Amino acid sequence: MEDLHKSTLESQEVGWDGGRVVAAAKAFFRRSAFLSNYLIAFLLILVLNFTLPRLMPGDPFQAIYGEEALLAMTPQLKAQLVERLALDQSMGQQFLAYILALAGGDLGHSYYYNQPVLSVILDFLPWTLLLTGSALVLSTLLGLFLGIESGFRRGRHLDKTLLASLMFLNGFPDFFMGIVLLLIFGVVWGLIPLSGALTPYSGLVGLPLAIDILHHLIAPLAALVLVRVTSAYLLTRNTMITTLKENFILAARAKGCSEGKIKYRHAGRNSLLPVVTATGLSIPQMITGALFVEIVFSYPGVGLLLYNSLLTRDYPLIQGILLMVTVVVLAANLLVDLLYSRLDPRVSHAR
Amino acid sequence: MLEISDLKVSYGGDEILAGIDLDLFRGDSIAIIGESGAGKTTLGLALMGLVDGRVSGRVLLDGVDIAALDDRERRKIRGKDMAMVFQNVEDALDPLMTVSDQIGEAIFVHQDRGDPRGVGDRVLRLLGSVGLEEVKGRSYPHQLSGGEKQRALIAMALANDPQVLILDEPTASLDAVTKAEITKLLLERMKGKVALVITHDLSAAARLTERMAVLYAGRIVEIGETCDLLENPRHPYTRGLIRSSPNMTTTKDLQGIPGRMVHGVCGCPFSERCTQRIDICDKVVPPLAEVGDRSIACHRGGIVPLLELSKIRTKFGKFVAVDGVDLTLYEGETIALVGESGSGKTTLAKTVIGLFSHQEGEIRLEGVPLARRDRGFYRKVQMIYQNPKESISHRMDVFDAVSEPLAVQKAGGSAERIATVKRVLEEVELSSDDDFLAKYPHQISGGEAQRVAIARALVLNPKLLIADEPTSALDASVQAKILRLLLNLQEKRGLAILFITHDIALARKVSDRMAVMLDGKIVEEGLTSVVTTSPVHPYTMRLLEVAPDLAPARVARGARETGPAGGGPWNISELLPLRAREL
Repeated sequence: MEDLHKSTLESQEVGWDGGRVVAAAKAFFRRSAFLSNYLIAFLLILVLNFTLPRLMPGDPFQAIYGEEALLAMTPQLKAQLVERLALDQSMGQQFLAYILALAGGDLGHSYYYNQPVLSVILDFLPWTLLLTGSALVLSTLLGLFLGIESGFRRGRHLDKTLLASLMFLNGFPDFFMGIVLLLIFGVVWGLIPLSGALTPYSGLVGLPLAIDILHHLIAPLAALVLVRVTSAYLLTRNTMITTLKENFILAARAKGCSEGKIKYRHAGRNSLLPVVTATGLSIPQMITGALFVEIVFSYPGVGLLLYNSLLTRDYPLIQGILLMVTVVVLAANLLVDLLYSRLDPRVSHAR
Repeated sequence: MLEISDLKVSYGGDEILAGIDLDLFRGDSIAIIGESGAGKTTLGLALMGLVDGRVSGRVLLDGVDIAALDDRERRKIRGKDMAMVFQNVEDALDPLMTVSDQIGEAIFVHQDRGDPRGVGDRVLRLLGSVGLEEVKGRSYPHQLSGGEKQRALIAMALANDPQVLILDEPTASLDAVTKAEITKLLLERMKGKVALVITHDLSAAARLTERMAVLYAGRIVEIGETCDLLENPRHPYTRGLIRSSPNMTTTKDLQGIPGRMVHGVCGCPFSERCTQRIDICDKVVPPLAEVGDRSIACHRGGIVPLLELSKIRTKFGKFVAVDGVDLTLYEGETIALVGESGSGKTTLAKTVIGLFSHQEGEIRLEGVPLARRDRGFYRKVQMIYQNPKESISHRMDVFDAVSEPLAVQKAGGSAERIATVKRVLEEVELSSDDDFLAKYPHQISGGEAQRVAIARALVLNPKLLIADEPTSALDASVQAKILRLLLNLQEKRGLAILFITHDIALARKVSDRMAVMLDGKIVEEGLTSVVTTSPVHPYTMRLLEVAPDLAPARVARGARETGPAGGGPWNISELLPLRAREL
């Protein structure tokens, strides 16, 4: 009887050891599966970007470059382009050529700027990244902070005031907020520059340059943040309210934790997770928002570039921008996913 | 060391705790038991200073009234001098922090200057003291089992070696084996502290504590030594709790408590559900009064003795049938009187009801010596007999039989009597239509006849029912139903039953206490569970040996070797005298 008991114990131990190997393997597969999701999404985007102009009726060449460009083109240039896009070859070879060109950083040629599309985009992208990135970070952090404070004081004065005013701000579209800010601070009070990302030909370097950039950034940033902060705020506030009812908050109180520790270390951290997810999901909207705001402030970002390329029907540029934006959104989502597993041990364990 | 006086907590207008007084000293362990909603957890939280509601009263910890302190001062005590382990281990740990960090935090928040290394060492020692490995400390809560989480929570509460430890359902939601381990751990860690164990689990309370306080609707209704209180509950609510909690000790079938808890009534909070309430109960809140080493909050001083027999002797000529019997039957209780035929059980029963008269001794009913048996006596005491068909006159139909006691007592008009009869018949689960009322004993079955006899006995709403072998003439299935009926009636009305039977197996299932009779004397008396498991008198042992048992068939096939060594009733030689007087 006792022997039997012992032997089952031992075999359990062996099983447990084996189980660990299996678990590690499983974790590896899960992790690679998680990354491959992004890879597949990326490939799909490429395929879509490749096929869409080719699915349109008529000449793919026309779909890619537009009618006006075609009319203005010399036969030599046309032949050169046909060869480059491998349009005279089979679909498979066309795709291969497309992929190879992409790998070499070749997104096509913008005839309006008379530059490779990539270099045009790279000229404008940093400003958009600066604007949307800081708007994203700032609106999330502000939303979190206000949400935590507000949820912790549920039903009290501060909570009610914040809730009402942020809901009010959330009602405006961001470009409208931009126009309002531009009119008041730029036109009426002259506190902010009316356009651009920095003062041209000023020859500023170092700190003065940074201040100049900030000076130009502040109004479009404010327009984006003021409108975008509400969703993070509302989500944080709601999660905060539910989290505060959980038993571990009571347990933390029973330990003798101060209100601040309970607010931020326990309740706040636990309320963070859904907000991070929502932030990841809100990146595309943020980029569309930035597009309009950039136009309002003539801010030289990708949004403005897209607007201009639409006006000039610079199709290769439009396609390049769209591809770039999708890739940025994808990358941001990946970042959020990775961040999430850092924030919540349960997620990394499940993965 | 911890002195609680007149502690009240109310949420909105609802008073959840209505004045708690408790004095506890170092090394004391007290269980707070009661149904959910009784205010147990609120009491724990109020002591910690964590209730949202309005708190009044005093909580003296080492002479300092901590209830009056402001929140900053209170926080310094929380987790340091007084710690609490919460119920529901599933979400009492922060999911985003490792166990060690959470335990460490409990130490850290009470340090003026941070000492990370010291804290780390202490956390390791704490983990060891609750039986968790170091690797578990580095885990997140979701990686631990329920038992491990409970251990972590205990380590967290012990972090600053608090003087007062409050355990809220420390073993609920754990499986039996883990429960036993945690119980052992807690017993060790509770030493030298004031420990309050809040639980609805009587067995956990019994293992963990020396004293026990029963909470009902925000008031303490009974306090006493744990073992004593569980064995001999004096407040009707305590008895109800024990009767309704399944355990391996009690042999009687589970019985509930009728009604439900209401807060904020003006009289005794339990009066609505109490079967022995009197007028004053609805009007005045009974104070917690000391009776011996017990404190009880009851206007009637706890469960009242209904029938007290002292030194009863009944003789037939020279033959002494009942020889100096002492017996006390409490309200709502069943005493089984067991013994073989001729041992004097029935004579004793008939002596009580007045069919025989005793020569010596005294019978007291509700504390009053019985001078003569008038109508009032028979309103309170009724009897049912072994053979139901014979105990109902064959010239009377069901209605006549059941309403006869009403006629004798001259109670009510005829319409009222019909209503009463119908109500009682329904209560004993019989049909109350006119067809049935007009039936004669020979037209109904034995089980129905016994129900009619019970209805006849109950129609006057007696407090004491003497049941003389009420089911021995019935089929087992009918018997089971009749017994269930009697237990239900007891639960509902607080009926005390003197149950006479020769079947100790039956007695075991229906009685709270058991008295074994032999030659007119009670040779052994005690809790049924005790008498049937560790009998003292050889005659009781003998009765148990010959008691019905479904195992012998298995024994015959040789299963005995793997069974418990010795002890079983089957290895006593069949040659032993069956009749006890040959012993």
